[in-house]
Amino acid sequence: MSRRYSPIPAVCAALGFVLLAAPAVCAQTLDLTISPSTITFANADPDTTPSIAAPSITVSYRVRQNGGGSWRITLLAGGDLTAGSATIPITSITWTATPAPPFQSGTMSRTLAQTLASGSGNVQQSTNATVVFRLANSWTHNAGTYSASIVFTLTAP
Amino acid sequence: MGYSLGDTEMTKIRRSLLGLVLVALAAAQALGAASTTSNVTVSASVAATAKLSLSSSTVSFADADPDATPSITATEGAITITAKGKTSTGGTITLTVLAADDLKSGTDAIAITNVTWTSSGAGFVAGTMNKTSAQPVASWTNSGSRAGTQTYALANSWSYPIGSYTATATYTLTAP
Repeated sequence: MSRRYSPIPAVCAALGFVLLAAPAVCAQTLDLTISPSTITFANADPDTTPSIAAPSITVSYRVRQNGGGSWRITLLAGGDLTAGSATIPITSITWTATPAPPFQSGTMSRTLAQTLASGSGNVQQSTNATVVFRLANSWTHNAGTYSASIVFTLTAP
Repeated sequence: MGYSLGDTEMTKIRRSLLGLVLVALAAAQALGAASTTSNVTVSASVAATAKLSLSSSTVSFADADPDATPSITATEGAITITAKGKTSTGGTITLTVLAADDLKSGTDAIAITNVTWTSSGAGFVAGTMNKTSAQPVASWTNSGSRAGTQTYALANSWSYPIGSYTATATYTLTAP
């Protein structure tokens, strides 16, 4: 004689599991603020100032409801520094950051988002980091006022 | 009487439920991803700049027999010129030299146009000194750091009165 089973308890268990799991993974709260919102490199003699430092910026971030998940802050430039038809490769800009870790130094890119900081879990209180950007100076840079945009992204995948 | 199924049917249902749970977990995991962005503007100022250096600030011509040495090369030999300039895209950076006067020794004079030079290095050209019009020494397009040499020579002559002659010349590097 074969045993017969009711599927109803198993269905209820599976649905209950999904319903319990869903609220937890949709609830990360991420905050990211950059101050000031401009990075300015002044003109300088390449012989005396081969690397031009911009005034530092403050990165304020907060990660909540992330459980044990990872988080990451990245930078991605929208293009090279441009002044009309003149360009300076965005890779001429590098940065250093503190505290390290979780922050790290790097080189700007317009093709691949670069990691500025990474960690795991929550950062319950808004936390500040200081980032200093530097532009490699050169006599080959044509005169002009150059600009570029950078997107900072905080993710908790 | 409640609904009941056989072993085969229950196996199929268990596998379907397992698949449903896995899909639900994957979807839930994807939905849990979060991100936020902040935009920053980068600005860099590059000003027109000109910077010039010469390896020697004097050029000397020794006394010589005009028959044996019709052209007297400067004692210093080749002078190295380093010209650094920043200009607008497509702009022309120029280097010129202008004598203040003829070579003078008291009331005696040797025309400054008797002083000529040859050059080496990209952008550099040979020329003849002049006291009324600045003469081109070199020119380049766009910003950059360039170097070349100038070697001066004085046309010798039996007609020159004896004396110690001097003159000054001004180099001008322009980066518009």
